[in-house]
Amino acid sequence: MKLIKIAAAAAVVAASFTAPAFAEEKMNDLEIAHTAYTAGGLDIRYAHLALALSENDSVREFANVMIRDHSAVNQEAGALIQKLNVTPQDNGLSQALVKGAAEKRAEFVKLSGKAFDCAYAQNELGYHQIVNQTVEGKFIPWATVEPLKALLEDALVTFKAHEKHAENMVNGLHCGS
Amino acid sequence: MPRSGKIGGALSGAAFSLMLTCSAAFAGETHQVFIEKFEFAPANLTIKRGDMVEFVNKDIAPHTATEESDYLWDTGELAKNQSARIEFSEIGTSNYFCAFHPHMKAEITVTPN
Repeated sequence: MKLIKIAAAAAVVAASFTAPAFAEEKMNDLEIAHTAYTAGGLDIRYAHLALALSENDSVREFANVMIRDHSAVNQEAGALIQKLNVTPQDNGLSQALVKGAAEKRAEFVKLSGKAFDCAYAQNELGYHQIVNQTVEGKFIPWATVEPLKALLEDALVTFKAHEKHAENMVNGLHCGS
Repeated sequence: MPRSGKIGGALSGAAFSLMLTCSAAFAGETHQVFIEKFEFAPANLTIKRGDMVEFVNKDIAPHTATEESDYLWDTGELAKNQSARIEFSEIGTSNYFCAFHPHMKAEITVTPN
């Protein structure tokens, strides 16, 4: 039941980013670590796709920032996992994120030019909005291991900067016109 | 071990060079600017000619401190807890930003000794 609820919420998020909830039921530290790491890795994959398909400077700049920053965050997470000698736990939300991102990438590769740029930019804005709400409102309060909580708090600062950056990118692309 | 550099020339747009400093010759004061939560702190720093500024990144995300008008000086990429020192040898105001996150801006004003 738990997995179904989480997967359903994540699927809605992946489709529209309008769902109010990303993770409905409390996750443990190992699940949180797994999902946070997975989400970062997926954003890096989106960014590589953007670098392959976009010729827009602001989109390419954003994509490079995503690769650099999320790689740094995931490197930090990897070091923490090694230090604590634990194994992150795969879970329904991580799986739903991976599935949703694969579907998104399949949509994106059919696009080009401004259509791709806008789709990527709007996806990045929505992705960071929902991830930030989840990290701030759920993962940080739920985390019980202090170093994980501290890492999530540090990472949230980075992700919020990305959200603002994505908002500026979307506005600059004039996707509605 | 922080990286070190020195800027020469006027802080107004002429061609600048970034050179390695000889630490034995350095006679000024060293100031610190922390890069934390995507901000430079202090955002406005006044120093004397010949002083050194050490930029220290406390964020997970890599940052730079890069002169804004024409990239006249640059710390290069600073990973978490890395630092770089720049010596300021000319009077003037130097606006700088993070080349990776351009909304991050700050300034250093260099006054006579």
